[in-house]
Amino acid sequence: MKQHPDETELALGASGDCGVWAGFRLRRHVRGCTECQAAMESFTDLRGALSADLTHGTNWDERALEMRANIRLGLEAGECVRGAGVAVVAAPRWNPRFALALASLFLLAGAGIFLRETPTAPVNFPPTLASSDAGIEFRSGETSVMLLNRNGVVADQTVSTLGEIRSRYIDGDTGAVTINNVYLQ
Amino acid sequence: MSTSNKVLAVALLAMTLPLAGQETRLDTSSSARIDFPADSPLTLISTSMGESRATARGGAVVLDLHMTLTLRNAGVRRVRGVTLLITAQEFAPGGKGSVARPCIDVAPNQEFTVPVDLRLVRPVQQGAGPLVRVQLDGVLFDDLGFFGPNKLNSQRAMTFWEVEAQRDRAWFKQVLSAKGDAGLRQEMLASMGRPRLDVAVSRSGRTVGELVPAADRVAQFAFLKVPDAPVEALDGFAGIMGNEAHAPRIEVLNKSSKAVRYMEIGWAVKDKDGVEYVAGSVPGSPASMLLPAGQKTSLLPDTTLKFSKGGKPVEIQSMTGFVSQVEFADGKVWVPSRESMKFSPLLRVLAPSAEEQRLTDLYAKKGLAALVADLNRY
Repeated sequence: MKQHPDETELALGASGDCGVWAGFRLRRHVRGCTECQAAMESFTDLRGALSADLTHGTNWDERALEMRANIRLGLEAGECVRGAGVAVVAAPRWNPRFALALASLFLLAGAGIFLRETPTAPVNFPPTLASSDAGIEFRSGETSVMLLNRNGVVADQTVSTLGEIRSRYIDGDTGAVTINNVYLQ
Repeated sequence: MSTSNKVLAVALLAMTLPLAGQETRLDTSSSARIDFPADSPLTLISTSMGESRATARGGAVVLDLHMTLTLRNAGVRRVRGVTLLITAQEFAPGGKGSVARPCIDVAPNQEFTVPVDLRLVRPVQQGAGPLVRVQLDGVLFDDLGFFGPNKLNSQRAMTFWEVEAQRDRAWFKQVLSAKGDAGLRQEMLASMGRPRLDVAVSRSGRTVGELVPAADRVAQFAFLKVPDAPVEALDGFAGIMGNEAHAPRIEVLNKSSKAVRYMEIGWAVKDKDGVEYVAGSVPGSPASMLLPAGQKTSLLPDTTLKFSKGGKPVEIQSMTGFVSQVEFADGKVWVPSRESMKFSPLLRVLAPSAEEQRLTDLYAKKGLAALVADLNRY
């Protein structure tokens, strides 16, 4: 080996993980090269120190068993999933409980929409006096009061822009005129 | 909900249920207080509450009054009109009304009745005392003299009614003497069947500096010339939005030599089919009066009128105004003469006077002979 081995080869050689031929050539070079010999010794020392830290309190055999068990479990679970997926796609099964739950959900949603009151913004209508054939109606918000014509006699009604309605009717019995006034305020 | 809250809720429900929609028949002694001044020319003979009832509706009591007051003319002059102020609550909408009986002719010591058919509203909790108060607001005599506190300006209203009554009675008598029964019958038939509009009135809410509140367009008034009118309407407009007319503004000129303290402009509208209706009146507000001779002023009622007929909106095509009433500072009043009305399109739309309505009703129910007999009474 005329050239120096790189750091990776030296690290592998220190741990004895390189191949047989590569290991032979590496060992020959290291014997004649003090520089590489020093580098390889430093890798050996580092490996020893790391090995001492990692192995402290760890049962590697136990870990190896757990890992093997987990791998096996994973493989079996994968088989199970693959099998179930094929079954669902191939032959979907009728589930009455699922259908019942879905129908109930639709019913609940439909009833909710049907029974829901449309939220109306509070409208602030001003107090209003209105004349009509039925009489004079006073409206304030959601309240309304009707001033009825006496005995259903059709009255003549006059609206004043000062906020007053005058209803005039003829008494059916006496023939006398009566005038009712209602005021906006 | 805690136990105390549950007890409170049940107690409230128990108190509320008997009130909801409960009707109470009213009796005179506990429900109504009738106040006539000590020096009143009318004295109260009797009061009947009839089928008057009070109904609880939410936080309010609706008073459905069907009272009859029997009064006697205790004065020496003939009574031509009376106005009563009916109050359930003084300063809130729906709490106050008035009942007037114009076009009467009550001799001294004669008795007459005034029906009070009104619905008023008052709060449930308004203290003890009677639910409704009846006060005399005014009495008008045959010489146009007046007695009463006049809180409702009933002197002016009754004077206008009486002057119109005198005008119309004189007119029908003139027709009778000039054209006989046939002429009078024709006048009666013409008086019937004027088209009428349903009108709702509310405040416009015009802001300071704003001439017309939100509207689709601004419509000008066309003014009818009434030859002998002491006041002339010069210019006017209102904001129009569909079947609503907002905040009319009318400029008027006092053409007479006397100061004017009140006036009314009649307001007619024409619909899309060309039918004309009397929509209402635009009175001068107390603030804009007194109007000196030769001066101008503007009538600016802050109201919105909404027009409909049979529940359907009536779209406004055009508007017409005409001077319908003027009161001078000396208390004298002016109304259009029958001659003026005859020669102008005014008569087509102007509402009949109270007396004309009474005479027309008399003719329709009892015939021409009864009408002639009534005209010959005074």
